Amino acid sequence: MVSNLIKLENVWKIYQMGDVQVPALKGIDLEVKKGEFLAIAGVSGSGKSTMMNLIGCLDLPSKGKIFLGGDDIASFRESKLAQIRGQKIGFVFQQFNLIPTLTALENVMLPLEFQDVDTSTARKKALEILNLVGLGDRVHHLPSQLSGGQQQRVAISRALSVDPEIILADEPTGNLDSKTGEFIMDVLNKIHRKDSKTIIIVTHDFYLVKRAERVVFLKDGQVERIEHNHKEQGGEFA
Amino acid sequence: MRFNKSLKLAVNILVHSKLRSWLTIIGIVIGIAAVVAIVSIGAGMQQNVESRLGGLGADIITISPGGGRASAGFRGGHGGGMPGTTATAATAENLTKKDVLVLQSVGGIEYIQGTVSGRGEMYYLGEKATISIDGVDPLVWKEMTTSELESGRLLGPSDYNVVVVGSRVAKDTFKQPLTLNRMITLEEKAFKVVGILKESGGFGGDDNKIIMPIKAARDTLEDVGSDEFDSITLKVANTDDVDQIMEEADKKLMISRHLTERGKDFSIRSAKSTQETMSDITQTMTLFLGAIAAVSLLVGAVGIANTMFTSVLEKTKEIGIMKSIGAKNSDIMMIFLLNSAIVGLVGGLLGICLGTGIASLLPLLGMRMMGMGREGMTTAVTPSLLFFALLISIGIGMAAGVIPAYRASKLKPVDALRYE
Repeated sequence: MVSNLIKLENVWKIYQMGDVQVPALKGIDLEVKKGEFLAIAGVSGSGKSTMMNLIGCLDLPSKGKIFLGGDDIASFRESKLAQIRGQKIGFVFQQFNLIPTLTALENVMLPLEFQDVDTSTARKKALEILNLVGLGDRVHHLPSQLSGGQQQRVAISRALSVDPEIILADEPTGNLDSKTGEFIMDVLNKIHRKDSKTIIIVTHDFYLVKRAERVVFLKDGQVERIEHNHKEQGGEFA
Repeated sequence: MRFNKSLKLAVNILVHSKLRSWLTIIGIVIGIAAVVAIVSIGAGMQQNVESRLGGLGADIITISPGGGRASAGFRGGHGGGMPGTTATAATAENLTKKDVLVLQSVGGIEYIQGTVSGRGEMYYLGEKATISIDGVDPLVWKEMTTSELESGRLLGPSDYNVVVVGSRVAKDTFKQPLTLNRMITLEEKAFKVVGILKESGGFGGDDNKIIMPIKAARDTLEDVGSDEFDSITLKVANTDDVDQIMEEADKKLMISRHLTERGKDFSIRSAKSTQETMSDITQTMTLFLGAIAAVSLLVGAVGIANTMFTSVLEKTKEIGIMKSIGAKNSDIMMIFLLNSAIVGLVGGLLGICLGTGIASLLPLLGMRMMGMGREGMTTAVTPSLLFFALLISIGIGMAAGVIPAYRASKLKPVDALRYE
C-alpha cells in the first residue's frame, strides 16, 4: 500500500470560453496510494469534477502530468485511454448513467464485452456481482424499472465487472435519499476493505467526506487543504 | 469489441428507436421497390423480345435496300416495308435478280428468296383497309416461313390470284372475320383466301400481312420493277455459320454492286443481330427508368443520413457512457455503422417484397407496352436482381451512416457525458 497508483504533477486544466481562458485547475499536485479511500471535496465550481475526469482519463490536462501506475496518460492516444478506462477504472456517476435500453445484466456485461470477454464468462461474472449487491432477482429489469438505489447498485456492479484498480465515484449518493445513500456508501466501503480497491469519491457532502481515509479540499482549482480521517484505524475524526 | 456484440447493440438501437427510424426505412423501401419493379419490367420486356424474335429463326439473314441501319429493323423477317415511300427507295437502287444470283454463289445457304412488299388497298364486304402485302416465291416461302397454318393451305407453285392471310388481318381488321375461300379485292384485283395463318405474336411475324405469289404481287403493287425485290431472305444450312455467311454475302454484294463502304445502299442483318439491337433498346430503357427510380433511393439515403445524425445527437450521452466504460472510437463507429446498415437491410428486404409484389401485379393490370403483341406486359424478377437490390440498400445505408458514425466516434467522452 505504499506505491503511488496515481500521481498528479502541477496539473492545469484551462477551458477556452470564447476569447476568455477559464482555468478550472491551477497547478494541482497530488499522490494517491494503491488501496486508498480518498474523497475530493469542494463547493461546485471548485474543479473537483474536472479533476475526476482527468484521473478517469475522460479528459486530458492542459498542462502538467498525470501518472497512472507509472505511465503519463497525457502522452496516450484515445484508443489507449479507452483501454485504460475499460480495464483499470470503474466509474460510478451521480446520474447512474445506465444505458436505458439494456437490462441490468446487459449493462453490467457491457464493459466486459468492450474488453472482448466471451459472453458466457461475462454473463457469469455479471450475475455474480449483481448477486453480491443484492440485485440477483432484478437482473432482467430495465433501468427504468428499478429504483434509484437499485440503479446505483447496477452502476456499481458495472464499475466492478472488469475488476478495475480504481473506482471513481462522482457524487454517488447525490440523487438518493440519505438511507439509500448510506447503503451505497456501505457497498463502496465493503469493496474498499474486501478487495482493497482504490476508491476516489467526489462530493460536497460532508457526511460522505468523513467516511474516506483522506480528504482533499479543493477551492478555486487549487488544493486548499488535505485532511486525514483515522476512522478506520481508531475512529479519530479530523 | 466483437462483431456480434456490436451487431447486438446496433439492433438494440434500432429496436428501441422511434417512429422516425421507421419513416426513414420507408424511404428506402419505396426506392428499392421502385428499382426492383422497374428492372423486372425491363427484364420481362427483354425476355419477351428474345422469345419472340427467337421465333424468326436464328438461321435467317435478311438483306434490304437502304444503307446502314435503315429500314430492316422492326419488320425483321421480311424487311423493306414500303417501297416508294421510304427515303431509301428513292436514292438507293432496289435489290435485283442479279443480286440473288450473286448470293447464290455464297456457300452454306439453303434457300434464297426474293420478296416484294408494299401496301395496298383492300376491300372486303364493303369495308376498306390498307394492308401490307408480301409477294413471295411459293415454293421457297413454304420452306422458309416460321408461320404456321391455322386453316387452309399455303401457296402453291401454280397459284396466281390467291392469298394467305395473317391472323390479325383475318380476325381483327374487318367487322366480319375473313374466312377460307372468301373473295377479297386488293388494288382492284380479286383474290381468293386459301389459307389463314396462326398468330405468331412477335415482331416480323406475318400477323398483319397478306401473302401472295410474287408474280401476282408484281402485277398488283405499284412501283415494283419486273426484276426487283424489296428484300432478299437467306436461310443458312447451319446456324453457327450465320455471321460468317453474312460477312461473305455483304462482301460479294458490295463488289457486284460496285459500292464502297460509304456508299453502301443495302443493309444486311440476321435475326440474331435484330435481337441484339432490340435488347440494346430495352436495356437502355430499363437503365433510364432505373435511373429515375435510383433518384428515390438517393432521397432515401439522405433520409438515413439525416436520421443517423439525429440519432447520434440523441445518443450522445450514451456514447459518453460507453466510452467511459471502455468503448474505443472504433467500437462506437462500428455500432453506428451497423445500425445504419441494418436500416438499409430492413428497408431493402421490405422494398424487395413490395417491388416483387408490384412486379407480379403489373401484368394483371393488362398494361401493354410498345408493340409487345396482344398479351400484357410481362415482368421477370430474377434472384440476381434481388441480391443486388439488397446489396445496394445495405451499401446505401452504410454510406449514409459513415459520417454520422464517424462523428459519434470522435466525440470527446467528457463532453458527451455532460450532454443532456
